[in-house]
Amino acid sequence: MVWRWGLFLYMSAVTVAAFLYAPLANKLFEQTRIIYWHIPVAWVTVVAFLVCGVESVRYLRSRDLRHDAGAASAASLGLLFCALATVTGAIFSKGMWGAYWNWDPRQTSIFFLLLIYAAYGTLRAAVEEPARRARLSAVYGLFAAAVTPLLIFVVPRLFFTLHPDPIVNAGGKLEMHPRMFQVFMASLVGFTVLFFWVYSLEVRIRLAALRADGAWTGTGKDRAA
Amino acid sequence: MRTAWAVFAKDVRTELRARYALSATFVFALATLAIVSYAVGPFGGRAELLAAFLWTVLLFAASAGLAQAFVREMERRTWLTLRLVASPGAILLGKWGVNLALLLATEAVVVPMFLVLFGVSFASLPAFLAVLVLASVGLSAAITLVSALLAQARSHGALVPALAFPLIVPVLMAAVTGTKRALVEPGAAVTELRILAAYAGILVALGIVLAEFVMED
Repeated sequence: MVWRWGLFLYMSAVTVAAFLYAPLANKLFEQTRIIYWHIPVAWVTVVAFLVCGVESVRYLRSRDLRHDAGAASAASLGLLFCALATVTGAIFSKGMWGAYWNWDPRQTSIFFLLLIYAAYGTLRAAVEEPARRARLSAVYGLFAAAVTPLLIFVVPRLFFTLHPDPIVNAGGKLEMHPRMFQVFMASLVGFTVLFFWVYSLEVRIRLAALRADGAWTGTGKDRAA
Repeated sequence: MRTAWAVFAKDVRTELRARYALSATFVFALATLAIVSYAVGPFGGRAELLAAFLWTVLLFAASAGLAQAFVREMERRTWLTLRLVASPGAILLGKWGVNLALLLATEAVVVPMFLVLFGVSFASLPAFLAVLVLASVGLSAAITLVSALLAQARSHGALVPALAFPLIVPVLMAAVTGTKRALVEPGAAVTELRILAAYAGILVALGIVLAEFVMED
């Protein structure tokens, strides 16, 4: 409870600081402010998909549905944050480049991610038996996790993009006003904590549902394939 | 590797007897090609449009014809026997080889027809052929993997394209830009070829590693 209110106050403070404390970046005008949401949200998207991949591997190794619940929760939250990153990116794109969507390599790769994780959800919906659903979606999740880095980090570097350099840019330099950087990092931490909090809730909900169906006992001995 | 070859040889033989998947792929490609060609006429012109048409035709054909590899084993009740005699990795490799061969065979007929119907000439034919082959490798790998996954789900038929599509999109994007460049630029489309090769490599390697989990029961 304290945690939740703490997070609420913290995120509110970051929001206020983004408007009042941080200066504007060169040539980005008021569009600067969106980086305190867009980049953390995109970052959480990547973290979520990473968690999904790791939990998929752990499921295939342990056959404990706890990890399947983890992968499923991470994927569904990842899809949500991916949608948010797409929308905030499109708003930035409209402000800076005049169009919401122009198939910039960054936009293209985030579109793939949306598709992949929507398909992951479709696969989960298509298989009813929990252990089989867990196994098949773990495999698909791993495919998704394997192509994600290619889409996020490799393809946008090979083609011309209008997108501002990512934080860790080619030169490894950080070109940001110290105050901007403080707010940005604070926002990054806030969104990450937010993600893991909602994630833990979602895992508990999924496990409760499995337990109610008698598919999971929490003893790690539910090995029915 | 020898089992994979045996699976491949068996499937090619049954395919040559019935020509089920081959005719499905081929007729689908032909129908799409006819529609596109009818709508556009012989002077389709712009390179990016031609590239998009070609890959639309091939994508349709591939998702119609290649999705059946595993389901047919289930339908004929030969799946368990196959699993007894061959390892999951070998089955996957064999099936993927068949699908790749099917796709290349279809392309061998459809692509020349496409070139004739649209009056296309390439600035760099070798670059185009390289893009075509590498993209076919990626395309068939993605569809084979997904159809192996979905052979165990109910209502697999409609789902194969839906699940394969996200894995295919990177292949198609690179294939389309690669084809476009081969149409207008003399040099090799190196960037696209590298993406296609890397992507196909990831899919196939991961597929072999994960095949065991896919085919567990």
